[in-house]
Amino acid sequence: MSVEDPWKPFRDVMQNPWEYARAWKERTRGKVVGHLLPDVPEEIIHAAGALPVAIEGAGIYASHAQAHIPGYTCNHAMGALELGLRGDLAVLDGMVIPYVCDTTRNLFHIWDRCFPDMANEFLRIPKRIGHPKVESYLTAEFQRFAGVMQNLTGESAGPDRFVSTAALYRKSRARLREAYDRHRQQPSVWTADRINLLTASALRADRAEHLEWMEALPWEDHTAEDSSSRIRLYVRGKVWDPPGILEMLDSLGFIIGRDEIVTGFRSIEQHGESSLDPMETIVRSHLRRVPYPGYHIDPAQAVEGFVARVREATAAAVLLLNPKFCEAAAFDTPDLQVALEKAGIPSLVLETSARGVSLGQIRIRLEAFQEMVSGELP
Amino acid sequence: MQPIQTLKRLKQINMDYYSAAHTARQNGKFIAYVNAFTPVELIYAMDMIPIYPENHAVILAARHLSTETAKAAEGMGYSMDLCSYARCDLGSIKLRLSPTWGLPKPDLLLISNSQCGTLTKWFEVLSRMYDAPMVLIDVPHSGHGEKDEAAERYIRGQLEELVGTIETITGRGLNQARLRETIRLSQEASVLWTRVLTACANKPSPMTVFDQFISMAPIVAQRGTQEAVDFYRELGEELDQRVQAGVGAIENERFRLFWDNLPLWPELRRLSTFLEERGACLVASLYTWAWARLAVGADDPFKDWTEQYLYTANLHLQRRIDEYATMGKEFGLDGYLYHSNRSCKFLSQDIPEVRAAVTERTGIPGVILEADHNDPRLYTIESLENQIDSFIELLSSSRRSG
Ligand code: SF4
Ligand code: SF4
Repeated sequence: MSVEDPWKPFRDVMQNPWEYARAWKERTRGKVVGHLLPDVPEEIIHAAGALPVAIEGAGIYASHAQAHIPGYTCNHAMGALELGLRGDLAVLDGMVIPYVCDTTRNLFHIWDRCFPDMANEFLRIPKRIGHPKVESYLTAEFQRFAGVMQNLTGESAGPDRFVSTAALYRKSRARLREAYDRHRQQPSVWTADRINLLTASALRADRAEHLEWMEALPWEDHTAEDSSSRIRLYVRGKVWDPPGILEMLDSLGFIIGRDEIVTGFRSIEQHGESSLDPMETIVRSHLRRVPYPGYHIDPAQAVEGFVARVREATAAAVLLLNPKFCEAAAFDTPDLQVALEKAGIPSLVLETSARGVSLGQIRIRLEAFQEMVSGELP
Repeated sequence: MQPIQTLKRLKQINMDYYSAAHTARQNGKFIAYVNAFTPVELIYAMDMIPIYPENHAVILAARHLSTETAKAAEGMGYSMDLCSYARCDLGSIKLRLSPTWGLPKPDLLLISNSQCGTLTKWFEVLSRMYDAPMVLIDVPHSGHGEKDEAAERYIRGQLEELVGTIETITGRGLNQARLRETIRLSQEASVLWTRVLTACANKPSPMTVFDQFISMAPIVAQRGTQEAVDFYRELGEELDQRVQAGVGAIENERFRLFWDNLPLWPELRRLSTFLEERGACLVASLYTWAWARLAVGADDPFKDWTEQYLYTANLHLQRRIDEYATMGKEFGLDGYLYHSNRSCKFLSQDIPEVRAAVTERTGIPGVILEADHNDPRLYTIESLENQIDSFIELLSSSRRSG
């Protein structure tokens, strides 16, 4: 690890997560399990002795995948398939695809045909998040999933192992939340781009090792910055897409007040009670998390709750990063925007992973938005 | 070509259905917006009239109003990538433009995601728009349709709870005798609809899939009523007579084709004429067959609905391949037309894999047509016709050489 640059190990993982996983595998002789976002319980994979690795397809240029899935598919799914077809995912022993939308439902079957040698699993996530019977269903499903993972690794995750995994993840997420808070206090050191580096690499690296790397970060330096001129944003979306958007937001003087990105705050938001049985904690955390757009809660509450969260984060503006071809996200957008407008909160929709849209165009739109929010535009 | 006489009755049936819906309140009835995999027999038995916003969108397309309504929805902020049924419906509400005088305001929005996830999101929008309660029957499919007892308990619990929700809305309890009666009528209609579809296995086929598309409205919206039973009985009898007399749906049936996915509603007439001129008859489609499998038994309908939504409706890739291959044999197919439907990702994303596997298994070729079921701005009909022409030419030349 470089003493000079404490951010380097995180960057290394993100630059080549497959290489990292391969080295981990050689070192530990363990199994590597890929998972498509969102909401695959990493702890269950970890407790079975495997390395969970998040697969993000957004931003991947698809050429091989076109023969297997039509072009009107979101890049999250298409890019993941592309990664597999071009050989990047050869390190995976298994792949978990959660049922969050029609696309992942179809992708699972296509995946199974394209990669018959991988142990592929479809995680049957319920959508009716607020229903009283959902907890018992989800518990049964996560228990089934734990069994599948244990069969894959051949290791049994006894109660002790599960408890220590849960403790490790709690600690890691607490540290990541601390980093997230630092972004608002010292946005030029703890940039949004760097916070994403931390949360995204946590979804790919060995958690214990990741936690050690985090200790070397500049926690002691508390020099407060004057960030009064920065615009506090609330962001909704799947992943930080297009790649490079965070650097752009940093450079344009935005601050991320809070986000619902599945590799962002949403992945660290739940602390999880240590007093409960680990499985119970995982289930409850899943159900308490900000609902993913593919899930269903009372429709009026979905909009009101969103505006309330934006207010609670004292955000001055909202950015909606809608993946192109994602029905779950796009159906909500008009009503969310109307409600935000009523609340006097400006919002901007960016269609992400839209083929043919350049970073330059996105920058122009963000600049205009920034000027409008800061009152420089009529 | 001799037109099928019974189909002429459809206009009146549809008018009666929408009039009954619009006068529901005066007649002490309630309105539930639903989709394919919802317990429609229960809805009818509990004094509710089921309304399918998807069907309403079909009518908009058939009357060539889809472009205008879809554009209006896009003006409201709904992306052009969303299902065109939803866009047309939302745009029609906005413009107050509808051949059925719009749809009556719902007392309940009932949906199951056994079909697609899109409907859940679409109904959420409608629920906010009308301030109406929404119930989602959540069906967490297992990957390959494996038995899942936890999911069965979860789904059954939601269905049983639905009875209480409807009782609260209507202020009336569930009458078991009426439920048994609607179930009986639904079973009868399903058997008769199956007979209609099976008649198309005859050579020549007495009916095309285009006719099936047109005649499916009652099996969708009026399953559980006497109207549906009467209509399909009459239709079935007419088809039997045609089979006995050797009357085909098209003059000179040379090729028997399968249509995958939803139709191109704005192009039904044009495509039907186009295919007929080439001696090609569409004889089977999984879309119309789906409605033949929705009846439940009266002994424990909640169990049957649960299993139907969880297992029968789980049209996963392998199942689809198996069904298409079986239909290839049963209907004596020469080729498959796969509609890769931009709007319906749920039914379309696995088409490249389905086509490859079905052709490998059966040796029957297929062609993928990229289009949209309701929005004619998303395809060019001339290019689709060129593609079909080349495909028919391929079938002709392989017949000549074979
Ligand atoms: S929820 Fe949206 S972004 Fe995620 S896989 Fe489905 S379509 Fe793609
Ligand atoms: S996505 Fe497909 S199944 Fe769903 S509403 Fe649209 S056409 Fe119907």
